[in-house]
Amino acid sequence: MCFASWHENRIMAELTVFNFNPKNSFLHKLDARFKIVCFILISIASIKAYTVSLVVLTCLVFYIILTVCISFKSILTELRFFFILLAFIFIARVFIAPDLSASYFKNFSLLWHSIYDAVLVCWRLLFVVLLGLIFVSTTRPSDIRIAVEWFLMPFPFIRGKRIATMMSLIIRFVPLVLDQARETIDAQRSRGVENRKNPVYRLIKLIIPVMYRIFEKADKLAVAMEARCFSEKRTNKALLSGKKDWIVLFGVICLCILLSTIDT
Amino acid sequence: MNIIEITNLRHQFADKSIGIDDISLTVKEGEFVVIAGRNGSGKTTFLRHLNGLLLSDTGVVKIGGISVSDNIQMARQMVGMVFQDPDTQIVGETVFDDVAFGPENLCLDKHEVKRRVIKALKAVDLINMADQRPHVLSGGEKRRLAVAGVLAMEPRVIVFDEPFSDLDYPGVRQVLHQILSLHKAGHTILMSTHDLEKVIVHADRLLIMSKGKIVMDDEPEKIIKNVEAFGVRQPCASRLGMKIESWLN
Repeated sequence: MCFASWHENRIMAELTVFNFNPKNSFLHKLDARFKIVCFILISIASIKAYTVSLVVLTCLVFYIILTVCISFKSILTELRFFFILLAFIFIARVFIAPDLSASYFKNFSLLWHSIYDAVLVCWRLLFVVLLGLIFVSTTRPSDIRIAVEWFLMPFPFIRGKRIATMMSLIIRFVPLVLDQARETIDAQRSRGVENRKNPVYRLIKLIIPVMYRIFEKADKLAVAMEARCFSEKRTNKALLSGKKDWIVLFGVICLCILLSTIDT
Repeated sequence: MNIIEITNLRHQFADKSIGIDDISLTVKEGEFVVIAGRNGSGKTTFLRHLNGLLLSDTGVVKIGGISVSDNIQMARQMVGMVFQDPDTQIVGETVFDDVAFGPENLCLDKHEVKRRVIKALKAVDLINMADQRPHVLSGGEKRRLAVAGVLAMEPRVIVFDEPFSDLDYPGVRQVLHQILSLHKAGHTILMSTHDLEKVIVHADRLLIMSKGKIVMDDEPEKIIKNVEAFGVRQPCASRLGMKIESWLN
């Protein structure tokens, strides 16, 4: 296998989970606008959720992950850095307690309460991230763009179309920017940049060429878009909502109300 | 019938250097023209005048009898441009979305957009990858996707700027095969390259550019022996006095 195809396979492996995964599940068929509203409602509900509600929500998320065929292994791989962040949050919540006296560690009920509290915070954060992952992997980026445009339409001073186009271009170009940064890092490592211990020097030497290439690519992109007659007045794919979208929204609202009553 | 008519085209950059120096040229509908020259000879600058990405200081560029500066939208629809770096011209988040970008900009009806996208993806044999993200395609596939993006606008002229750069042998063959199919289907093809080896056997006409001027313009076999004076390497077979073979054989 040549290096190029190995490199491509590696990129494919790295970018599979946090991107749209074309499948034919129930969630894939839902209207993006309804999905965004449901996502926001459930996220808000989860902020105030305690153990029982979180168990219900987590079971629901796991069921959805199974139905939309996302591999748990790739989720764990993708979220590896997020788990480190969660570990920091956990430590901070437990050890940076309001009263860090010796009695805090001797008083097990206080310590236990802090640990419980930290677990809940991490659980909620992980839940919202998993929800986001499900949303991104079941919704076409173009549908997200059109939905954002639709939500921004009532605001007269916000150029919804432009914001939505910028958003979709960012989604499209994040992998390219990451590739560019990776390539520059490799090129600099091969020329011994690791021998320089000053992190500021290394950061400057990385940022300048990466930014230069990104601006250059952005310029070429603008020319290519112009060559294909880009304008804000263009045909948009219509989002169609049906009975099932309203049923799901109603279900989510009921679930949120139920969850808010369970733990209180 | 002449699809491209250029009269006394001249372009000066902001730093006063001359990009194009008094070019007059006509291209017949259905012709396959290769434009060669060393780096900085003005090939890309010249090609960008064909769809109004650059506008001339003096001179006229007409596509299908209509001046580009009078109707840029029409010029961009009639002259599709495939750029050197496919990564910077693919704007869609999926293969389908990218091909739909051009027709959507033309404000076509959404059924017509879908029809054109499917037709273009079939033409470049990427229909099975419609839901893939462009980032994960191979170099040759990305180049074909860029071609599909242009085809969906149903142009009469297709301009390729260094289409074989950064491609491996199978990638070159894929793209070359695609270009020849488009030519066979009746499109007028203009291609800039400094590597004649891969394509010249299929071309009807060879233009050599130097310092913003067209210094040679004839059938390839008539001028191929003299191209090295202008920084373009003569194909290996031609140097050895042999017949030039197609890369598709």
